[in-house]
Amino acid sequence: MIYYNRLIVQSCLRSEFYISAVRCFKIYERKQIGEGIWFTRITDARFKVNRIAVSFYTDIDDDGYSRADYAIVPYILVDSCAKYPDYSALSMRFSELYGASMSDSTTIMGDSRCSTLAVASIDDRYALEGEHIEQDTCQLLLDCLLDPLMEDGAFSAETTRLMQSELIDSIDSVINDKRNYAAQKGAEHAYMGEPWGLSEQGTHAQAEMITPRLAYGAYSEMLRRGRIEITAVGCSDFNESERMLKEAFSKLQRSDICQPHCAPSILKSDTLDISEDMPMQQAILRMYFKAPEMDDRYAGVLLSTILGGMTTSRFFMNIREKESLCYYCSCFSNRFKRVITAYAGVDPQNVQRTREAILAEFRDVCENGVSEEELSRAKLEIINDARSIYDGVNAIASWYSGQLMDSTVITPEEYIEQLKQVTPERIQQACRKYSLDTFYVLMPEVTE
Amino acid sequence: MIQEIISSRIGEKCYKYIHSSGVTICLCPMESYSTVNAQFAVKFGSEDCRYRLNGGDVKTIPDGTAHYLEHKLFESPEKDAFALFAETGASCNAVTSYDSTCYYFSCAENFERNLEILLDFVQSPHFTPENVEKERGIISQEITMYLDNPGWRVIMELLKGVYSVNPIRTDIAGSVESIAEITDKTLYDVYEAFYNPSNMYISIAGNFDMDKAIEVCERCLLPRQSAQLETIACEEPYEVAESRRVMQMPVAKPQFAIGFKRPDADGQEALDEYIYLNTVMDILFGDTSEFYKRMRDSGALNDTFRVSVFMGRGYVLPLVTGESDDPDAVLSEMKKEIRRFKEQLPDKEHFERIRKMNYGYIVRGYNNTESVSQAMLSMELSGLSPYAMVEGVAESCYEEMCRRLLSIDEENSCIAIINPLDGGK
Repeated sequence: MIYYNRLIVQSCLRSEFYISAVRCFKIYERKQIGEGIWFTRITDARFKVNRIAVSFYTDIDDDGYSRADYAIVPYILVDSCAKYPDYSALSMRFSELYGASMSDSTTIMGDSRCSTLAVASIDDRYALEGEHIEQDTCQLLLDCLLDPLMEDGAFSAETTRLMQSELIDSIDSVINDKRNYAAQKGAEHAYMGEPWGLSEQGTHAQAEMITPRLAYGAYSEMLRRGRIEITAVGCSDFNESERMLKEAFSKLQRSDICQPHCAPSILKSDTLDISEDMPMQQAILRMYFKAPEMDDRYAGVLLSTILGGMTTSRFFMNIREKESLCYYCSCFSNRFKRVITAYAGVDPQNVQRTREAILAEFRDVCENGVSEEELSRAKLEIINDARSIYDGVNAIASWYSGQLMDSTVITPEEYIEQLKQVTPERIQQACRKYSLDTFYVLMPEVTE
Repeated sequence: MIQEIISSRIGEKCYKYIHSSGVTICLCPMESYSTVNAQFAVKFGSEDCRYRLNGGDVKTIPDGTAHYLEHKLFESPEKDAFALFAETGASCNAVTSYDSTCYYFSCAENFERNLEILLDFVQSPHFTPENVEKERGIISQEITMYLDNPGWRVIMELLKGVYSVNPIRTDIAGSVESIAEITDKTLYDVYEAFYNPSNMYISIAGNFDMDKAIEVCERCLLPRQSAQLETIACEEPYEVAESRRVMQMPVAKPQFAIGFKRPDADGQEALDEYIYLNTVMDILFGDTSEFYKRMRDSGALNDTFRVSVFMGRGYVLPLVTGESDDPDAVLSEMKKEIRRFKEQLPDKEHFERIRKMNYGYIVRGYNNTESVSQAMLSMELSGLSPYAMVEGVAESCYEEMCRRLLSIDEENSCIAIINPLDGGK
């Protein structure tokens, strides 16, 4: 790895209070504070920061046409608001709050869209002049979320124009990073006809069609129908922030609330082989293995780790170290879509060899299973990662938000206990359920 | 003797001692955390390409040697380091930069065993003609991967344009051609020269028992005969090597990087440069600046625009990166802005806001074991106190910021551009 700069987070569903030997949170509390609005608070005094994220879960239309309308909403909301009518003024306010920051994202989670605005700031204890940073930052989040810059009953035309241009640049820029490009194009083929397969930002053409009114319409739908998940993580008790958020959101007219959902990806009857050319140096391949019938979450993640999720994985040891075919060859699993995605960057002449080597590793697990030793290594790897979750506000928030579509919420400890029960036989059975669905390769263009 | 170092400002405390072998060790116990991050670094990066050992002849090594050595050090005649860490569940890796190489792990359990593995493998080189040859294909693919990355290439082009002789103008990993010259002997020679305890540093942060950490260090760090190592620095001229470099790649919009060359600096002076130039760059070109608002409103820049200060051993370079249909116009406007601010200095309020912002960013960095470990190591490699950065920012003053602003030579700049293959939109 190389690095160029050294200097360079009224009904109570579940309320727990644990101070335990496993260095858990001091407070984990989750409660409903409005119709389809949930507030999760995780307090741990060791952190120096506080982070509040508000996520809106909305349905995705089948033709994907409104994707860009929704994608532009977070762009507009973090750019300005009625109180701070341009980016410069808003940034000025954030800098006064000790570099508090606001981030935005639009992602596809399962088969739903998740639009998030999050603020992070240092705790009041570290203010040089005794300021109330957390409350002021929470207010700024509410200003941006619920009081945007308006014009004629829609978003400001000028703000929309600027953000439309930035969204288009962002959509077009996928070509810059060849690995991301290959991931996006590969997913389009692997998840053809499924919400997961298309970019959450929409297409260039869809973004060109955005108007202040269409974007405002998407925003209004988010506020009216979106399932709202507020997650507060940090050293504060967040009591004041909770009061502010609850009061502000109680003014919304809410009905017909969306429910986040997900279906396993559909396995094609025959493997789809796709090759695309680009003027570049290295070939990038992506292989999508699907198992719609897969119901063993824990065996699935361990299988993926054994194959290509650690530095002693089969891909790493055999394809990189023994065959010297590549610098990276890895895989990851998506438990909601029930897909394992393998990927590698290789010399163009080694594409077929790498494909065969990856398939051979799958076949070997299907036929001969895995050893106790490699299973043990994979468990240790994942357990280490799971225990590390407690050390970062972003990781803690992600852990809980990632379980939104599960029927029960589990702690990292409960997850670890389930992992420990997995046997080599379960791994082998899991592997037998996977089939290669799509093979996608981005090849360097051959010039005469 | 163990030295206690306290920052009352942010309520942090760490410890430092020098092992009898010469290795400098920094320790920061963070009791309620779940993980530990440990780093073992050597002051040997890609810029250290010419050296003299014990008064002998000057040796020149192939570009990319430090990085190649980093890859090969994980190897062992029996189980390699990856396999040993896998038995404990720790995640490990290494990174080579221009001025150092760092091996590290992060774990939630078995800290002492992991520390033993780290110290042991970094001190036990095992290079053979076969295993060195085997790595060539892997590193060639790593080099090729970066060649396809415009974000990386534009910075490399900028450094080539700014510097005439400074080795940071050459890619850290070298080239497919230069690494073809590296043999097991090359690696043993540089290991002997640079991986000397007095040139090495350990930084540990997280939930660990300090006595046990010290016990492992005492037991596992091996004494070595001290060596007189001299890296041969090149005299870098004041002026940039080239003011403009252009290349083409498949990108959606022209990518650019602009740097304003500064005289060489090291230690405390480099840190002061870093802190004040960061502030100057934020005031002039950052999110809160009139420049950024104007350029963004006109569509000349988008939200990919970033300001930063690139810093390493001996050099500090304020730079910006971004996308624009007309990168040359961006440079021209930046020069105008520098001249304008030199005539009418920024107001003190703006400085105070930026000072608070930068202070907040640093405090946020003390929030996890990896960033604390990394911060201690960075400062130590520069010969500075672990809390020099946060103290420096908190104590920074308006007058000194103005002085640094006035010292920027806007004409001594370079722009690197990556144009789309088809000429863009």
